[in-house]
Formats: sequence, structure tokens, C-alpha cells
Amino acid sequence: MTSYPVFLTDRRSGKTVGAELIEGIGESQLRSVETEWKPVINARLRQLVAQGSPLSDWPENWHWDWRKKLERIRGLLAFRSLALVCENQVQGLMLLAMAGHSCRIPEQAKKDLIYVDYLETAPWNRKTIVPQPRFGGVGTVMIRAAIEVSHEQDFRGRIGLHSLPAAEEFYDKVCGMTDLGRDESYQGLRYFEMTAAQAAAFSQ
Amino acid sequence: MKKTMTLNLTDGEMQALQELCDKKDLSKTAVLRQALRLYQLVDVRLEQGGKLFFEDEAKKEKAELMVL
Repeated sequence: MTSYPVFLTDRRSGKTVGAELIEGIGESQLRSVETEWKPVINARLRQLVAQGSPLSDWPENWHWDWRKKLERIRGLLAFRSLALVCENQVQGLMLLAMAGHSCRIPEQAKKDLIYVDYLETAPWNRKTIVPQPRFGGVGTVMIRAAIEVSHEQDFRGRIGLHSLPAAEEFYDKVCGMTDLGRDESYQGLRYFEMTAAQAAAFSQ
Repeated sequence: MKKTMTLNLTDGEMQALQELCDKKDLSKTAVLRQALRLYQLVDVRLEQGGKLFFEDEAKKEKAELMVL
């Protein structure tokens, strides 16, 4: 198993802490999601139900099942998965599609890119689920990793993704990706794309 | 770990490969990697009972593509 050292921010102390980016989501990470992530998400859902909150207030990806997602792509070269681990807990997961997606921005139209199929941060790192998130920087580390994979594949840092509404600001403002608007062929989610120049600026 | 192999291509195949490299802004290795990923993906999906279609949205035509 290949892993790379990365850094997150401990939001409680404000300090930088070491973490590990692992190539390939394995059984231990899946178990961690099922036994550690799910109870936190379910507790929040119970709270929202008790408060009578509408479905629109629920965490947008509460229903994601990483085991099923990975079973569907097992052994396929067209996908790669990554897990981010810190303090022996999974802090984030990402699934990348390596083929079958082309750029939409006119200056790089039809060129290959890495498509971020799924990206999720542990529930205790999300302010929509817990009052005080634990670690910050998971999304940034993951997007940097996607850019690295893009470079590895000769795609010059080009990446693309469809964003859930709650993450749109992150991809737009923090990552500096181009917002190409709502994609009606993909559940109406907004499509964001990063050019080689934007990738270079973000990775600095 | 990466392994090196020699590939024997006809002039026509080499020309098609070069055209894809130019069009996609990729090296020959990158184009062949992409081709392998897609070929494997299609093969697995077809084995699972899936079908591959090309759709012409303007003409509302759908053509099934038999790959393997």
C-alpha cells in the first residue's frame, strides 16, 4: 500500500498535524466509515428529524455507501480511490475517474481530465453535522491529490467535478475552479473544472 | 512498479496514435493507458450485461455499439 505524508489543521488547537494519504480505500477504511462515520451521521439525522427539519437541511450525502461504490469499480483501471487518515481515523475519502471524462472549458475542450467522482470528509470535520469541526483542510488535500494524479497521467493538472450545493463555494472560492453552471444531465448539480493554470495556482 | 514493453504498430496505427496524442495533448503512453482503461471498463460492463450506446441528441438516434 502506497501512502504519502500530508498535513491537516487541528481546528481545536489551530496547529498543523501530520496525516497520511493512502492509495486505495481498503477494508479497514470501509469498516472505519461504517463504525465511526455512520453513527455520527445517524445521530445528526435523528436530531434533525426530532427538530422537524426539512429534508433540504439534511447533510446532502447522508445516503452515500462507500462499500457499494467501491464494489462497483473493483479491479477497474478507470478508477482510483484515496483515503486520508489522521490520528488513526479516516478523515476523508475520494474516488477518481481516470478515463471517460473530457474537459468542457473552451480553451481545453475535449482534452482528458481527472474527474472527481466522489469526495467526502468525515462527519466530525463538517460544520453542518457537528458544532465544532475537528480537522480542517481535508478537501484541500484531496483536491491537491487529484491534481497530482492529473499530472501523473499527463493531464497537466486538469480536473473536473459536479459539486453538491454545500461544497460549491469551496470549489469556486478556495480551489479557484471555473463554474460552468448547472448540468441538467447530472441531477442539476453545478459542474466545476480546473485548467492547468488554475491547478498550478492552487498547488502553489 | 512500472514495466517497459515494446509495441509493434503499423504505419496506420502509429498515425492514429499520433493524431490522438496531438488532439488530446497526451504522450503515446498516456493515450495507450487511457485506451486500456476504457477497453477494460467496457469489457467488464458488457460482461455484466450492460450495453454500450452512441446517442445523437439532435437526431434522437441511438445506436448500440458491439465492442467485443
